[in-house]
Amino acid sequence: MSTNQYIDAFTRYLRTGDPSEMEHFCENPSHIKRLAVYRNGFYKGCVDALIANFPMCEKKVGSENFRKMARLYVDRFPPEQGTLVGYGLSFPGFVTDLIKDGEIENKHILEVTENQQSASNLYMNLVDIAHLDYAWLMSLMSADSTETLTIEYVTQLMEQGTELTELNVKVNSSVLLLSVSEGAFLEWISLKTNNNDGVVTKSSAEDFIMLWRLQGAVQARSLSIAEVALMQALQGTGRSLGEAFDAAITVDEHFEVSDAFTACLQNELLEIQIN
Amino acid sequence: MEKVRLKVNKASFPQHIVAGEQLGAGLSLKPEHLNDILALPVELPSTNNNLWFEVHTENYFVAGGPRLNYLRAVRENFDISFHGVGGSLGSDHKAMLAHTKRVKALIDEFQPVLVSEHAVWSKSDGKYFADLMPLPRTQDALESLINGIDCYQTGIGQSILVENPSNYLDFISDMDEPQFLVEAAKRTGCGLLIDINNLYISSKNTGIDALDYLKQIPAELVGEIHIAGHDPDPALGQSLLIDSHAAPVATPVWGLLEQAIEIFGQRPVLVERDANIPSFEELMIERETAQSYLNQSELQSRLNISHKEVVR
Repeated sequence: MSTNQYIDAFTRYLRTGDPSEMEHFCENPSHIKRLAVYRNGFYKGCVDALIANFPMCEKKVGSENFRKMARLYVDRFPPEQGTLVGYGLSFPGFVTDLIKDGEIENKHILEVTENQQSASNLYMNLVDIAHLDYAWLMSLMSADSTETLTIEYVTQLMEQGTELTELNVKVNSSVLLLSVSEGAFLEWISLKTNNNDGVVTKSSAEDFIMLWRLQGAVQARSLSIAEVALMQALQGTGRSLGEAFDAAITVDEHFEVSDAFTACLQNELLEIQIN
Repeated sequence: MEKVRLKVNKASFPQHIVAGEQLGAGLSLKPEHLNDILALPVELPSTNNNLWFEVHTENYFVAGGPRLNYLRAVRENFDISFHGVGGSLGSDHKAMLAHTKRVKALIDEFQPVLVSEHAVWSKSDGKYFADLMPLPRTQDALESLINGIDCYQTGIGQSILVENPSNYLDFISDMDEPQFLVEAAKRTGCGLLIDINNLYISSKNTGIDALDYLKQIPAELVGEIHIAGHDPDPALGQSLLIDSHAAPVATPVWGLLEQAIEIFGQRPVLVERDANIPSFEELMIERETAQSYLNQSELQSRLNISHKEVVR
């Protein structure tokens, strides 16, 4: 018996739950059912990680429903790195497919309880809420900024005669932008704030949401079209402040540049781009 | 399979024994206890009997943010230990380099006093199965484990401690577990982390003699001891004990700890708790019990030394 044969057979057991191939490797065949401890441990670890990483999804559909979905996800997308931190990158896409293919209804994955209005309400906005949960997590765990542009620093630069519009800046790595339906963002916020008055609505209007980390806590808000243009201009390698504000003014000539710049500084969104 | 050559300096081993001398009993670090931990007096380390904290290394595989910040805050006042659960020393070593690169970055920043992993497998064919699966104790599996330990130690540039698994059933094997682990330790320069709760569970589940097991482990290889709580299997009851880390340490495990300290001498003892997390005060009481076993052992060795001097 080679170790590879043993691990291959064990792997197939973990993936399928069929222990027959492991019989050759067990000293006492009557104990083979005990293998379930390892399989249960694998699923529990992964499902618990998905619950931790998609807390508002779990809250929306309820613990049992979420666990069913999560187990299916683990079957299809087992983790690939030796950590469960950040596990679930493909989860929003997986939920999209479940809904699109009708699996969520055909396999009775979501069961409606007395407190929930209908199955369709349960998965309405669910994909967007999954995107928001994951973006929140990524923002929380993103790298710390080393060259944050603060009000004090800007004051200092102005005293030195630096032309601020020529300053090369970018948004820090905690700043994430995503587009979700207006109703989804409102529902996500009401789930997060335990506001039970939040009404589940499907809106065709798209909302651009920005998430960022300030003093260790993730913040989120929707952006105007000009703010989106500004933030998109400052993503990646960034550009000069002047160019970024020009991008915002192009889509909204009434855009208040000074207010936006002050808000960016107060929320520690920007870092100086060192060439 | 090509064997990776060990690049760490074996002459400096065993680092773990040296590190262990400064540690008392420690606790698993839980985020919910952060405020309690930071409120502990730190001016006189002796008041806490060299309290230290252990974390699961992979939980800190993040680029930044509050999780690393709270570990930094704890590290300012206490020694910490990194306990890996996702290295898969026994299988699929292709991803080891990327894994140890992240471990090494954490080690460089946090300077843990101990680094440990498990003598198990958890990865296969590029997938991670997020549990600690035992290896068959065969010559072939031993080579694979040795290869994995070598890769890990080379990747992080220092020796590690390797922990005995919890066994729920026996797999066909050529040797018993102490032989398997001792051989791996001797051939890689790693030390051993003896998890007393795992050993107790294995003894109940598979019928091995726990005390005989401990006696087969050379004391000089042991760098750390773990204790934890377990639970009976929901279906099979006491005939199958599960390594849950969700309950207080059981009385027979305390008894086995006492025997282990008697055999190995003073070693850092970690009280592990990963589920049903109680208050910090409650965990500290368990930790004090572990510390009292260490203090008792220290007192005994001092008495033995004094007695020898009087006899001379």
